[in-house]
Amino acid sequence: MILTGVALVGCQKASDQAAAPAPTTIKIGLAGAQTGSDGQIGLSMLNGSQIAIDEWNAKGGVLGKKIETVVLDDEASAQKAVTVAQSLIDSGVVAVIGHFNSSCSIAASQHYNDAKIIEISPGSTNPTYTDQGFPYTFRVCGRDDQQGATIATFLHDQLKLNKIAILDDKTTYGEGLANVVKKSFEEKGGTVVMFQGIGKDDRDFRANIAVVKGSGAEAFVWGGMYGQGGPLCVQLRQAGLNIPFVSDDGCQDQAFIDTVGGNAENVYVSFGKDFSTLPAAQPFIKKYKDTYQRDVGSYSAYGYDAANVLLTAIDKAQSTDADKVAAVLKSQPFDTILGKIEFDSKGDLKEAGYVIWTVKDGKLQVLPSTP
Amino acid sequence: MTADSTSTLTEILVGGISRGAMYALVALGYTMVYGVLGMINFAHGEIFMIGMFACVYAIGAFSVAWGDHIMLNLTLGIMVAMIFSAAYGYANERIAYRRLRKAHVLAPLTSAIGISTFLQYFIFLTVSKDTVNFPRYYSDYLTNHHINLGSAEVTYLQLTILGLTLVIMTGLFYLINFTRLGIALRATAQDQLMASLVGIPVNRIIAFTFILGSALAAIAGVMFSMYNNVLVFDAGYRVGLKAFTAAILGGIGNIPGAVLGAMILGLTEALTTLNFGSQWDDPATFAVLMLVLMLRPRGLLGERVADKV
Repeated sequence: MILTGVALVGCQKASDQAAAPAPTTIKIGLAGAQTGSDGQIGLSMLNGSQIAIDEWNAKGGVLGKKIETVVLDDEASAQKAVTVAQSLIDSGVVAVIGHFNSSCSIAASQHYNDAKIIEISPGSTNPTYTDQGFPYTFRVCGRDDQQGATIATFLHDQLKLNKIAILDDKTTYGEGLANVVKKSFEEKGGTVVMFQGIGKDDRDFRANIAVVKGSGAEAFVWGGMYGQGGPLCVQLRQAGLNIPFVSDDGCQDQAFIDTVGGNAENVYVSFGKDFSTLPAAQPFIKKYKDTYQRDVGSYSAYGYDAANVLLTAIDKAQSTDADKVAAVLKSQPFDTILGKIEFDSKGDLKEAGYVIWTVKDGKLQVLPSTP
Repeated sequence: MTADSTSTLTEILVGGISRGAMYALVALGYTMVYGVLGMINFAHGEIFMIGMFACVYAIGAFSVAWGDHIMLNLTLGIMVAMIFSAAYGYANERIAYRRLRKAHVLAPLTSAIGISTFLQYFIFLTVSKDTVNFPRYYSDYLTNHHINLGSAEVTYLQLTILGLTLVIMTGLFYLINFTRLGIALRATAQDQLMASLVGIPVNRIIAFTFILGSALAAIAGVMFSMYNNVLVFDAGYRVGLKAFTAAILGGIGNIPGAVLGAMILGLTEALTTLNFGSQWDDPATFAVLMLVLMLRPRGLLGERVADKV
């Protein structure tokens, strides 16, 4: 509804300004990991945003101007993310959709805020990102304190387990999530029998698995990305340990299934609700497949929504001024393909809606018994 | 000690030795090149990584060409990997190092670091930007069968890795100390000019060292990617660093030293994970290295045969 309305306004504006002598554009930055071990998931997020922006441009752009994207790769490195942020600021973007990795979004957020640029992350779930109190920082996904609590509740209340082992990748995101799972699980009266971290480029987990075997853990929690989560899960099974393997939104990617196999049992992943069956998401899913010749990634819809929410807010504010856009973002609900969303004063979603997914028939699907 | 903790310890030791054996296969290449040329070939980790990719892509091509014959395709895959890695290793020597042989010691070292970065990005940009899965169909037999060691399990793959390492180490030791080629290698290591004066083809001997070391790295790469289930363009950097550390620890230039150093490294990491958690692996490893170097500056086995192959 909003989309169509906005599009009509956009068309009118565009035709009005067609006669203007110097046609200008509105620049939007798309930042995130496109390469490296998180490249697949990051790229599917950026592609989602790109589709939304193309749709707006097809309808005439925003504020009567075409939208120009500046796409940069932060290689999932916080250091690189700062360089990317500087280049985006220098190139004159009015807002940034990104980054993907929490460490990158956090490192870049200071710079965007100093430059008065709105940053909307489709995938950074670490609490610190919005807890820094920056006025121009937003996200359209949940927070790891919500996600970690969901995992802990699932393990303790649904699977009725009391002893778990936790391993993380020592990144802002992975370690942050692992800490929340540990805290939530212990608050419920459970015991964490192993709590370790491992380097982000280590892929031999035999020693950790031996420790888990000896510890009597009833489930294994991985806080990190699919690039390590996949081989970890495989090595766990090869060692004959068939306890539940529970991971986070970092493993919510087809690449994870490609590694663990489509028939993997007892594998769970926490993520937002399933959008593949929502009627509102169908045109987007089809368009994504037609454009990129592959299925949507888990964060594609979030990338799409972030772009739509941003452009809608710019249109409603009738300005690209960060203060005005932020005020619009925080004052009203937005319709997205994931349903109605609303931001709180920090820039977080008022409702995150994490659910547990599992591997079934070669795909990740929502576990039927989760609410 | 309870039965449970004994089996955990055994499994930790098995895992540590397996990891050490893979470090050893890479460390042998470092130590051979150093032994002959007195230079650190930092691009060796990338040669190891190229081996992984060559094998997996070759297996893919073979299974398309004539079907999934596990033994045949795997053997051919390893051979293709060895040929690829050897070719890259030879090209490195020919292009980047040969002209710098008489230059200041920092010149070939810097060149090697450059080659290392170049190869990493080359594979990244032309072959795969993402992790690639080792075809499990080919590794399942080795990873799913095991022998029992007390209450702990040792997979066929772990036995293969350890066996290969020991065989290759022995072979190299024999080659260097008891063959005519070995004499030529040692002569080249001692004094290139004198060696060439007595009719030893120094350039060919050095090229042979690179080819042999690179082919070994390819074997390590295949084992490593089978063992870890995935391969990625930057895998060589970390393993290369660890293998280099192992070579230094054991006394660089010394063949059994490289294997000893690698085993100590693998076991240190595994025991650290058991006692303090894997987040302490790297600090512990390098603490051991510093301690050993303080007590034995030339490494554990370095003194007796230092600066030899």
